[in-house]
Amino acid sequence: MSTTNPHTDDFVVRRSVFLGLSIFLTATGVVLMLNSYSGQTMFWEDYVCVGVFPLLFSQIAVGFTLALFGFFDRLRGGDRHHIMRGPWRAKEESIPLAATAIVIPVYNEEVGRVSKGVANMWRSLEKTGQLEHFDFYICSDSTQADHWVEEECAWLSLCQKLNAFGKIFYRKRRHRINGKSGNVADFCRRWGKRYRYMVVLDADSVMIGPTLVRLVRAMEANPEAGIIQTQPYMVLGTSLFRRILQFSSHVYGGLFSEGCSMAQMSSGSYWGHNAIIRVAPFIEYCDLPLLPVPDPGRRHVLSHDTVEAALMRRAGYGVWIAYDEPGSYEEGPPNLSDMLIRDRRWCAGNLQHFWFLFARGIEMGSRLQIWIGLMAYLCSPLWLTFLVAGCFGAYFRMRFLTLSADPEDLGAATTSHHTGFLVALTLVLLFLPRLLGILTTLPRARQFGGVFRLLVSAVLENLLSILMAPVLMMFHTLFVLLTLSGWQIKWTTQNRTDMGLPFIHCLKLYGWLSALGLIAYPIVASYLGGASLWLAPILAGWIVAPLLAWVTSGRRMGMIFKWCGLFVTPEEVETPPELQGLGDAGETREGAAASPLWVQALLSPYVQAVHLSLVRQGPSGSGEAAAPSHGELRERLLREGPQALDAKEKLRLLWEGETVFWLHQELWARSEAQLHPSWIQLQAECGRSRLLVDYLMAKG
Amino acid sequence: MEPIKESPVVRHEREAWNEAYDRLVNFLHTFALGDHVYVSQLALDLLHQAQDLHRRDSTRDPVTQTMELAQKRLADWLAANLEEQDTAPSHILATGYVALLLSQVYRTAPASFLASPVPEELRQALRETLLVTGPDLNVSSMTPRHLDYGPMLQFARQTWHRWDAKEFGVALLFWAGVYTVFYWWLSQLL
Repeated sequence: MSTTNPHTDDFVVRRSVFLGLSIFLTATGVVLMLNSYSGQTMFWEDYVCVGVFPLLFSQIAVGFTLALFGFFDRLRGGDRHHIMRGPWRAKEESIPLAATAIVIPVYNEEVGRVSKGVANMWRSLEKTGQLEHFDFYICSDSTQADHWVEEECAWLSLCQKLNAFGKIFYRKRRHRINGKSGNVADFCRRWGKRYRYMVVLDADSVMIGPTLVRLVRAMEANPEAGIIQTQPYMVLGTSLFRRILQFSSHVYGGLFSEGCSMAQMSSGSYWGHNAIIRVAPFIEYCDLPLLPVPDPGRRHVLSHDTVEAALMRRAGYGVWIAYDEPGSYEEGPPNLSDMLIRDRRWCAGNLQHFWFLFARGIEMGSRLQIWIGLMAYLCSPLWLTFLVAGCFGAYFRMRFLTLSADPEDLGAATTSHHTGFLVALTLVLLFLPRLLGILTTLPRARQFGGVFRLLVSAVLENLLSILMAPVLMMFHTLFVLLTLSGWQIKWTTQNRTDMGLPFIHCLKLYGWLSALGLIAYPIVASYLGGASLWLAPILAGWIVAPLLAWVTSGRRMGMIFKWCGLFVTPEEVETPPELQGLGDAGETREGAAASPLWVQALLSPYVQAVHLSLVRQGPSGSGEAAAPSHGELRERLLREGPQALDAKEKLRLLWEGETVFWLHQELWARSEAQLHPSWIQLQAECGRSRLLVDYLMAKG
Repeated sequence: MEPIKESPVVRHEREAWNEAYDRLVNFLHTFALGDHVYVSQLALDLLHQAQDLHRRDSTRDPVTQTMELAQKRLADWLAANLEEQDTAPSHILATGYVALLLSQVYRTAPASFLASPVPEELRQALRETLLVTGPDLNVSSMTPRHLDYGPMLQFARQTWHRWDAKEFGVALLFWAGVYTVFYWWLSQLL
């Protein structure tokens, strides 16, 4: 397999322009920065600023260049060298499809939402007439017994409703090794050979049938393509926070992706979901290597996607971003706290990528992706350092000038015209991409509630971003320090419900920032005078952080803004069929008992039968059954009730088919005196368990 | 008129059979049979059979005796209808319950539950129900390829494996010197 990029000449020009412009803008900023110090006495704090500034400025320069590329590409009507615009599109319908697995790794997710998403994708594929080429795999790593049993029932219900036995599969992994990447790798090892492609999704992902079909055809027509990543748009948010994220992902996200695609071509990004992957090279080349760190517990790569893309490129296959393929969706974090939980994981993962930055054989484009990902988090401590050093430098300079120079010189020395240029350039680099995003959205303004509402939403979104940026800076700095100091990061289930945060939680989590802002403000104002105005947005962001997190977390504010027509996205104006019914998934039906779900695998004959069929995986064995195990655990469960077991013990029991069967017999046959009273209550409720009402007995 | 006093033995037995009845009805309700009258009749029928057995062996607890009888009836009935006589009871019951669920007998023909003989088309429906849980494995070997982490690894290894306070001091002095020169150079430049 050739490792060269298609259309090499064009690619060289693009890469040169991209790097050249980024470097030029960074150099301009650095020169203006150095000139702003001309004729002034430098303090050590200034040297810190001078040292940090190029790194910080290079990031906004790169972001600006990407947006500019995206805007240019959009103006000229798209990239003719892009994989999704090749000559194959002319005969697209005639390209036969190959076997494709849609892999959905789940980890203690909202089961109703996941299964409704699968059902919608199934129906969408059915309409294309190409369903026969696709199989679905729900690959569970759930660690909660309730989720496990519910997932099994949801799977059976899906297969029943859609007549999809033999097309939708459920697999629960016994040993949860290496998180999501391990889950996908496990699928590849077991069934990868059966498929030429796999579409990896997240639990909250939805993709429409025509896009899935087109991605397979694109892969068939371009055998050198290893991964095609679609641009997933955030949807289904009801909290204000999520609706703002949705809005910005629609208005600005596509522009950056388009720019990235234009600059990187076949060295694009892979974000771990909503992407199609060529299975054979993925199995052969993309298993994640262990990190070369002394602690064996830290050798696993946490953020697998960027590394997998780099390995795919290293093997000679292209990684493309299909930035304008419609119908690729995901859900964002519902509030600031959940976004920070997610960021902490991503931060730990991205910092690990440092090792791949200098690894041999990694392609230049992949190194760039790794560098951008790394700097996304490292910029925060650098920015904080810059701010602190800048404040001290400004203070010392003012004091020095006050003591040593004529008062008239003071103004001239502190506000050099270079500083003005630098500020202007920074503002342009920060806000012009946003302006370009709005400009490219204007022709579709109706999908965003009209021109006026689009503009008002954009202004409000920018204001909120300005206030949130210093909060993110502080937390990201904390995350970087925690990661570097060796604190273990655990993958947790992403919360996708817009329930809102209690104010006391916001006060506890963000109150220290308010205190910091309130203490810093008078100090900065008294020592720096008018210069302290520069810090106003940062201090304001800190002071209002608890309020901001609280107000944006709830559904009520989100609905008020929706009622006003603000932060509207195209999917809210016209919901595609693939997203219908997903927003209200997970609401329990009336009349269903709210008892623990896992006990149904012991009590309900139907639930137990489904569980045993999946645990045994295969045709019913014959002859003697194995003896039930875990004697002490079984007796404790019967005598002390389901609450007597911890999460791991429940899983241990559920894995043992014969033990589950034995418990079923005993639970029904033992007299009241031999059972914990809670079992009698559970037996009475068993016939109207939520698993029966919502899944196994559900009609339609 | 004074109420007739019940002996403790009789009261105990009555309570035990009440408990057996409640348990049996709860158990039968888990099958979600659409015909509630039939469920009651079935429960009474099974309970009478259990009472007959109890008369022969009164050492056993009525609840246990009733439920064991019900489970045995179920296993035999499923084995006969699925034609899986030689299979272990746990497998018969699991397969049979899934067959009941997928064929929707509980909804379409609740009165056939535990009935003998069952209509031929129902038997056929039960037998044809097959739960496809997963495709056959088609195992691949997926192992990480060697990756040379390059100069940073060499540097890191040397740092981790040869950590020495003296060396650290020297390095610190060296960089302090570099920084001083840099500071001086920049102050001259600007």
